[in-house]
Formats: sequence, structure tokens, C-alpha cells
Amino acid sequence: MTLKVTRPGLHTTVQDLGRFGHQSEGFSPAGAMDYRALMLANQLLGNDENAPGLEMTLRGATFEVVKDTVVAAVGADMKMKIDDADHPSGIPVHVAKGSRIQFGAADVGARTYLAVPGGFKVETVLGSASTHVRSGIGGHSGRALQEGDMLHAGTTGAATRYRIKDFDDGDEIVRVIPGQQFDRFGDEMKQQFFNSSYALTKDCDRMGFRLDGPELVAAPDHDVLSEPTQLGSIQVPKGGRPIVLLNDRQTAGGYARIGTVAHADIPKFVQKQPGDAVKFAEITVEEASALYRDEMARIRSGGYLEISNAFRVHVRPVARKVARIMKR
Amino acid sequence: MEIRQFAENALTIYLGDEIDEKVNRQLVALRHRIDEMDIQGIGEIVLSYTSLIIYFDIFKTDVDALKKTVGDIDESALLEAEVSYRVIEIPVCYGGEYGPDIDSFEADGLSAEEVIELHANKEYLVYMLGFMPGFPYLGGLDERLHKARLETPRVRIPPGSVGIGGKQTGMYPFESPGGWHLLGRTPVPLFDENREESILYQAGDRIIYRPIDASEFKEIASRIEAGSYDIQFEVRGG
Repeated sequence: MTLKVTRPGLHTTVQDLGRFGHQSEGFSPAGAMDYRALMLANQLLGNDENAPGLEMTLRGATFEVVKDTVVAAVGADMKMKIDDADHPSGIPVHVAKGSRIQFGAADVGARTYLAVPGGFKVETVLGSASTHVRSGIGGHSGRALQEGDMLHAGTTGAATRYRIKDFDDGDEIVRVIPGQQFDRFGDEMKQQFFNSSYALTKDCDRMGFRLDGPELVAAPDHDVLSEPTQLGSIQVPKGGRPIVLLNDRQTAGGYARIGTVAHADIPKFVQKQPGDAVKFAEITVEEASALYRDEMARIRSGGYLEISNAFRVHVRPVARKVARIMKR
Repeated sequence: MEIRQFAENALTIYLGDEIDEKVNRQLVALRHRIDEMDIQGIGEIVLSYTSLIIYFDIFKTDVDALKKTVGDIDESALLEAEVSYRVIEIPVCYGGEYGPDIDSFEADGLSAEEVIELHANKEYLVYMLGFMPGFPYLGGLDERLHKARLETPRVRIPPGSVGIGGKQTGMYPFESPGGWHLLGRTPVPLFDENREESILYQAGDRIIYRPIDASEFKEIASRIEAGSYDIQFEVRGG
């Protein structure tokens, strides 16, 4: 036992990088939406990049530390507190048994990933630890975390000496590869798609984000024969409001697709909150491939890390007091 | 054959533009050919009605070489390729609590017995899977059984339910809301993570529904519980 969930947050699930190899059987890949943030959280603890972490959404969870461990949080700033003391995210921190780790609401960004040494230990389903809530598989009992859930770290492990460098990913440009039915949208529609702002509605979850903005009309119509979906597929049903399909998407869909969000911009896109606006920019699939290769190389080569000067051990207030008394 | 790319890590190969058993046969043969070639970095191949998607690892696969390799495959030869498929028997208890909508076909002039007669003991082609894990898009439903979906969808359809929606028949591996007319239910778990094949069928296979009564339903269910039930299937072709 490592962590006990005392408050589950808005929607907290165990995710690795996804369940691949079973889309032909209808299994959505699931997995961390901001794959980069999970990979970086794992790097801070020296974990495998695919080690299962917790994905917290908009408002984070609160945990009681049951056994001494190390944690690392990367992604949206959810104002991590340990026993009421503020801790910056993006840096590993030792936490002692009996401490409380508390996350609040994110002002900017939507998803934070919490890693522990060796990843959270859950049974894998079809080769992955990722939770897919709609089919009730993977993660912790195939569902989002609830109060009282007990979580186990894979190993005892230790922190690395790294922290995440500051980087700005806050702009609203999201690059898009032309999609399957791109040509069902005339020049005027394409122009409108690439020159307007689209805002995230309240209907944004792990399956997909519904956007609001100028209506997109396809000709002759919006229906197509069911075809496999892909991460970032932007489908446009009748009514003209685009839906971006994400990790928990159905594996087949029957609406016209105007584009696919470039993999390299997925982390930025999934950190948007309802109400935030995005602008789509057209790129070729070759450009998108080069961007994705560069991004993965940057992540894997430690391009987001820097050596941390601070050696962070969180000592419980009582222990601090004891230490002070002992010094006297 | 049309080869397109809509994502960094995937090629889409179109072999047709409408639902067609012949196109499905070609797609299944193409999947088989690509599998046999054992190309470096190929992850998974996903079939749909008219196309297949080849997922690859962009660090291991040269996409231009892959396009050429696939483009060089003789499309017409795919039709003659002998590819094996399975015919999987799914036992179904029609009517009663398991198939509450079977009597609604009386409005179309069909008794429950006639519905079973038309629906069971014939082969349905699995064109693709999707919507939810293990949900088959089946071809071959008798026209007399085509029926517009329920006006008010059910909030909860139990797993294993077999039904009809529009021109399609199929079954729900997981509990779900839905607007299909429910004809019956199978005691066989359509998804079982502990079974060697967690999903029993893939695109290109055939499904045949065998009518069973309520006592056989219970008997099969308890044999499944005890791990002593074998799924009945036949391998053909290849």
C-alpha cells in the first residue's frame, strides 16, 4: 500500500501510454491524453516511459501517504500541497508516511499526471494498464478512482536529480493534417475552418472534445460508411460543429472528417479547458511526421529536463518540530 | 487501390466505396498478405467496410517503402487468394425476458417463430468491429427483418443481447444504452479478458446464431462459470 485516495477529484484514472494492437477488435487505445506529461513524470522518477500514472482532470485528488515514497506531478498546475505546504510541480518529492498530498483546481491547463516509482501497480488488460471507463476495463477496477481506493507503487525507487524546464505551450494554434473527407468541404469551408476560432464546449472528455464555432457544411453530406477513427480525427456531423476524437474514442465512426490533429500538438490541445479557444493550421502529413519525430526525440533525450538544485524531501511538520527539539 | 495517409503513424488503403462482400474478401486477403510479409514496425491492421488501416512505428518503418510494397500487391489476385476464416456458433435464447422486442415484429406480419426462423441458423459476415469492444458489424440480415430503431432508446441493454437496428443485426458485448430491437441473449461472454481470445471473432469471420431454450441458456451459463464450455466453431478455406 502506498497511497490512499481520500478525495478522488473530478475524474482521476490510471493510464499508461495506451492499449495498442486491439483496435481491430473495437478496443479504444485509451492511455494518457497528454502523453508527454506522463512520459516526463516517469522520467523524473527514472521509470519506464510507459509506467502507469494517474491522470487527474481539472480538479485533482487528495491522497494519504500510507508508506514512504516519492511522487512527481507533471502537467497542469493543480497547486500541489503536501501537509498544507505548497510544492511546485515538475520536480520529484519524497513524501513520508502519514503525509497528505492534495491537489486543487487547475487555473490553466486541464490534466496533471502523478507518477510513483515503478508506476502504479494494477493488473494489465490486453497488455495495458490504461483505464477505459466506458468498457470498464483496465486501471483500478476499470473505473475512475473513488474515495478509499488503495494504490500501490511498483517499486520503492528514488527521485532523480531532475526537474522539468519551464516551457510555454499556451498558444492557441493547433496543427491539422487534411482528413479523409477534406474535399467534401469546399474552399470557403476550408478557409473558415482554418481562419476561425473554435472554443471547447463543456462536452469535452476522454472520448473527444466538442467544439463551438462557425458551422462547417460538407457536400454532399456528413455521413460516411463507418471507418476506423484515429487519435485527433476531427469529425463534423450534421449541424457543423466539429468533434475531435481522443483517447477513449469509439474505434469506428461514420461522420465526415475534415482533418487529424497532429500528434505533436495533442499534448497542447488536451490541456485546453472548456471555454478556451483554438485555431487550426493546415500542415502536410510529412511535416506532421517530422514534428512528431522531433517531439518524441526531444522528450526521450531529456530535452525537457534540467538538473535541480533543490533536494526536496518533505518532512512532516511534527518530525520537523522533533528535529528542532533534538537540536537544542 | 488507393493509398492515403491521414495520420503520422497510419496508412489507409481503400479497395472500394460501398459495403460489398467481395471488397471484404479482398481486404481480409490484403491483411493476410501484409501480415505474412512481416514488415518492420507494423503495429496493427484495422479493417472497415471499404478500407484497412496499417498502423506503424514512425521510428522503425519507412513510410515510402511501405507505400510501395503495398502498392505493388496485385489487387485482382487478392480475390483468388485462399484465406481461412471461422464460422462461430453463438447460442441464443430468443424471446421472453431475453428478447423483449421479438413480438414487436407482429406489426410487420411476423410471428416470434418466424423471426427466429429468419434470424437463426444462417451465416452473417463480420465486416468489421467497432462502436464498442467486440461489437460486430454484420452483413446478411434478411430484408424482412429490417426495422427502424426504437424511438426511445433503452437506457440499459444487458451484455450478450442480440438485436436488430435498421438493416443491421448484431450483439452487445458490454452493457450499453441503445435503440436496437432485442431478439434474444447469448450466455456466451462476448468479451472475456481471461480467455485466450478475449474477442471471439474478427473481420472476415462468420457468425451463426443457434436457438436455445431457457434451460440450455442456464446450463451453458453454468458450464461457462465452471470453465467447461467450449465455443463451437469451424475453420474454412485456406
